[in-house]
Amino acid sequence: MNETSAATPGLAEETEAAAGTVQSTDATVGEIYVDDPRMTCRNVNVYYGEKQAIFDVSLDIGKNQVISMIGPSGCGKSTFLRCLNRMNDTIDVCRVTGQIKMDEQDIYDGGLDVVPLRASVGMVFQKPNPFPKSIYDNIAYGPKIHGLSDNKEHLDSIVESSLQRAGLWEEVKDRLDQPGTGLSGGQQQRLCIARAIAVSPEVILMDEPCSALDPIATAKIEELIDELRENFTIAIVTHSMQQAARVSQRTAYFHLGKLIEVGETDQIFTSPRHKLTEDYITGRFG
Amino acid sequence: MNEMTSGHIVKAYSAELDHLNELVLDMGNLGQDQLRRAVQTLKDEDPKAAGQVIDRDRKLNDIDIQADEEIIRLIAKRQPMAKDLRDILTVQKTISDLERVGDEARKIANLTIHFYDNGKNPPSKEILHDIYDMSEFVDEMLGLSLVAFTELDLDKALEVIEMDKKLYEDFRGSLRRLSTFIMEDSRNVGSVVDIVLALRALERIGGHAKNIGGFVIFLVTGKDVRHEDIQAISAEIEANRVAE
Repeated sequence: MNETSAATPGLAEETEAAAGTVQSTDATVGEIYVDDPRMTCRNVNVYYGEKQAIFDVSLDIGKNQVISMIGPSGCGKSTFLRCLNRMNDTIDVCRVTGQIKMDEQDIYDGGLDVVPLRASVGMVFQKPNPFPKSIYDNIAYGPKIHGLSDNKEHLDSIVESSLQRAGLWEEVKDRLDQPGTGLSGGQQQRLCIARAIAVSPEVILMDEPCSALDPIATAKIEELIDELRENFTIAIVTHSMQQAARVSQRTAYFHLGKLIEVGETDQIFTSPRHKLTEDYITGRFG
Repeated sequence: MNEMTSGHIVKAYSAELDHLNELVLDMGNLGQDQLRRAVQTLKDEDPKAAGQVIDRDRKLNDIDIQADEEIIRLIAKRQPMAKDLRDILTVQKTISDLERVGDEARKIANLTIHFYDNGKNPPSKEILHDIYDMSEFVDEMLGLSLVAFTELDLDKALEVIEMDKKLYEDFRGSLRRLSTFIMEDSRNVGSVVDIVLALRALERIGGHAKNIGGFVIFLVTGKDVRHEDIQAISAEIEANRVAE
């Protein structure tokens, strides 16, 4: 079942027939719906000026699930991710059509305040970007401006619990007053995750969160993602297929702005149904 | 090179997968040849040739080990996904089955030595007859399974799986027929038991060919059919063809 149907101009069916795979790019292959969605996206189109970057994408983001978005550079996966907390609003020429709902609320409703939206749908970027403040203040900043703490004691407990949930507490508890920028790359990224957690989000968006990290720091983030899934919904864009296979329950494959295939991660990485998905994940994509 | 192995951006990856598939064919041809030679030694009453068949089994063991080493390296180096992963798993399982084909052929060669070495009492030709018939059928199954693997041919894979039913029926029929020799003359017991073991070895070779047919279906469709009903598998494959 799917709702996407728009044909993509210029999206050629590039490869020869293969047994057991679909080749048409007219509609998304796989189940775009989930039983318990945290966010629902329907017929989402994104334009940068005249250029269309996302074509009629419909997809549910399941509650307490990790969904990976994969695809070649320029396929629109990060653009789509940024639609989920209206980060694309910061780009003047960017225009989004279609519907993205969280808890029955259309997040593109004209009257909606994006500040609480971005607290509810937090984001972690490719490069760790701690504030040029102390470790403590990096975490405390969000709860302070969103009025989530009643007093210093409460704020302290938010800072501690956020750092603990991000698996960083033991490493930094004795140096909370030192600059966040003084931490290692992996620690900085976990600090950014702790910062996102501190404002009690429902969804965390991660845009290639491990691409600047070494394998050990990557493993710690992946372990953290798995733990965070219990309380949060996570959408992650990654170029590492192995990472997508390791951390997510569902995987969505994008190609030239279209959602080509979505499905259970186990299925996508063992028996993808679309030839483009298969060519990409097996390294055949020219 | 076929559509399962070709087309990688990193050409060495395709070449490595191709080499694995070549090992399967080398091993398949060797296994089939071992089967034919082992049965021929019985026909020729030639224990010396049987000894050569037994010695030659080492080649199959060597390829088995070589393939495992290459598979381990390939998994570590390439982290295969989707059809590459299925291809590697299929190769590993197929190689393993073919190695056992060699073991079964060796059992038949051992029987030749047991019967004809050092002037022991050979069985009557009449009792041996079922071995020859069954070996031809099993040879055909094994050959068909290798063609199915090479050509990624689902119809041939299904045909091999279907043939295994007839093989089992033939095996049961042979057991009934052989039991009459014991009823006629209890001195036949020893020979009949040995021949039943040989028939069992052939029946197992057919089972390995059937397994390879199942692996081919897994390789092409991604569906594990090892414990599924053949009619249901066939219907599903046909339905998928129509849908495409």
